[in-house]
Amino acid sequence: MAPLYVALLVGAVLFGVGLYGALSQTNLVMIMMGVEVMLGGAMVNLVAFWRFLHPETYSGQMFVLIVMTVMALEMAVGFGVGTGRFRAKGSVEMEEARDLKG
Amino acid sequence: MIFSYLAILGPLLAAAAVLALRRGAAPLALVGSFAGLAGASLALAHVAGGASRSAELPGLPGLPLRLVADPLGALLSLVVGAVGFLVMVYAVGYMEGEGSGARFYAGMSFFVAAMQALVLAGDWVLLLASWELIGFSSYLLIGFWFWRDGVPSSATRAFLYTRSADLGLYVAIFVLISRTGTSEISATLDVGSPAATVAGLLLLLAAAGKSAQTPLQGWLQDAMAGPTPVSALLHSATLVAAGAILMIRVSPLLPPGVRLAVGLLGALSAVACGLIAVSQRDLKRLLAASTSSQYGLMLLAVGAGSPVAALFHLVAHAAMKSSLFLASGVFQHARGSTAFTDLAGVGRERRLAFLGFVVAGLALAGVPPLSGFFSKDAMIAASFASPYAPVFGPLALAGALMSAVYVARAIRLLWHSTGAGSPVAGSGWMGAGLAALVALAAALGLAEGPIAGLIGQDIPRNLLVAGVGLALALGGLLLGWFVPAGRLLGPARGPAERGFRLGGGFDALAARPALALAGAADRFDRGIHRGVVGVGESALALARAARLADDAGIDRLIAALVRGTRGLGGRARRLQSGLVHRELVLATAGAALILAFLILGAFAP
Repeated sequence: MAPLYVALLVGAVLFGVGLYGALSQTNLVMIMMGVEVMLGGAMVNLVAFWRFLHPETYSGQMFVLIVMTVMALEMAVGFGVGTGRFRAKGSVEMEEARDLKG
Repeated sequence: MIFSYLAILGPLLAAAAVLALRRGAAPLALVGSFAGLAGASLALAHVAGGASRSAELPGLPGLPLRLVADPLGALLSLVVGAVGFLVMVYAVGYMEGEGSGARFYAGMSFFVAAMQALVLAGDWVLLLASWELIGFSSYLLIGFWFWRDGVPSSATRAFLYTRSADLGLYVAIFVLISRTGTSEISATLDVGSPAATVAGLLLLLAAAGKSAQTPLQGWLQDAMAGPTPVSALLHSATLVAAGAILMIRVSPLLPPGVRLAVGLLGALSAVACGLIAVSQRDLKRLLAASTSSQYGLMLLAVGAGSPVAALFHLVAHAAMKSSLFLASGVFQHARGSTAFTDLAGVGRERRLAFLGFVVAGLALAGVPPLSGFFSKDAMIAASFASPYAPVFGPLALAGALMSAVYVARAIRLLWHSTGAGSPVAGSGWMGAGLAALVALAAALGLAEGPIAGLIGQDIPRNLLVAGVGLALALGGLLLGWFVPAGRLLGPARGPAERGFRLGGGFDALAARPALALAGAADRFDRGIHRGVVGVGESALALARAARLADDAGIDRLIAALVRGTRGLGGRARRLQSGLVHRELVLATAGAALILAFLILGAFAP
């Protein structure tokens, strides 16, 4: 089995790719994809720590399951917003969306 | 005493009735002044034995109106009543065809009533009140033709001159009352020396103002702007006589030093006003200056210690001067002017009036057997009998000489004709009044004995002095008749004609000091004003500083606070760009910051 640092490295790469995607993309869908990838990297880390450090307990797995549920919810809400925006404005480009400017 | 009331109330009620009814003014005034004359004669008859009657009318609390009919007061009251009545008779003719009859007759009646109150007053307060009333009514009468040029200013001038000298009477009365505690005239006459000196000099000032004595003589010349009956009344028995009457009345009060001052002032006026009279080019102005001169002789007699001689001359002069004025009124009616150039030869047309003028004039000059000879001789004898004879005597003779000169000059100018004027119909009323007064002027010499008996003093006599006086009178008449005024006076004629106003007079003696005093008071007042304004301005400056501190300090602090909060808010607002990316970057940066702290915290000891 591959050692722990490989899993952590994969998780870090995933988080960095996700962060870059979230910051560089202008489309709402793409930003959300970046956020998903970042969460995925975080989950890889969680699973790896559970498997290599405390394999006898289940709390690590439970934590990952909860994160996954939250991700699903986040997806649902985010895409709901995206659909509503698309219906209203015909676009989901975030550069145009400055409605929350103070 | 009831008759003395009648003497005052007759003219007073006539004045009131004339003003109330506004018609029948002349008959009412005649009846009123006749009632006054009758009352005065009866009152004199009652006190003829030397008795004195007095009455107190309710006046102010503690200040009853006290009337006294002693022989002196009753005699003067008779003079006022007689002259008032005869002038009123004359005025009926003089004022025919003039408007405003009611105003004229009411003023004249009121004038006579006020004068009666003055001569009968037994109380300083009543005397002061009537003294003011005659000044006021003479102002009204001098200004009777108030629409003519120069008349209002003449009336105002006369009023102001006499009023400013009246100040002396006020202060003298205050001094006498405060020293003796009573306002009864007879009780204040024996006050001690320092008060008597002060009061005597102040009374002399008041008398000099009313009688137009030397420094104050200017107003009387201007007072000729009034109608001629007013001038006649004013000069003979009322306003101008009031000064001499006052001095005769208070003569027991005067200490020797004050007597000397009275005599010197009178002598000076007699000579100076005599010179003015000789130089005048107007008949009425000549008569006015001669009045001042004659009253100067009376003051001289008072100063010489013989008030009875002054009183005798006052009575005779009342008749002479009113006749002269009434005759000049006749000439004025004939020619429409009183300048000598217009009046030349008028005596040939109006022979009867001219005869009256000559008789009264010769009486004034002191020609026997007319009244002026006796009265003037008495005054000259008195001045030679006084302790100051070396001063008073020659001055009295000079005054007498002057009167002869100007009388002769006036008669010559009226008689010498340069052309023929058109005769104007005369009035019987004017003739009647004039004739009666001329008869009095001629015959009053007979009154010497009765007057002396009435007052109880001897009238001084001196045969040598009488001879010198007569010689001087005749010499003066010849001088005045043959020598023109210009050659007689030489270079003194110019100043004399202007009334010696440059050498003093009211303007230099009173007006300029008064103006200087007023200027000083004004400057003082302005100083106080500046001080008050300065205090106010410093308070304002203090308030302004307080406001500045308020504005600059507290207000600016609060404003800075507000501005800072606003700027902070603005800067915070700029963070809220609404851009998702920016939010994300900020969140990332924040998270990285937290991470960095955590890692540092983990490795820190």
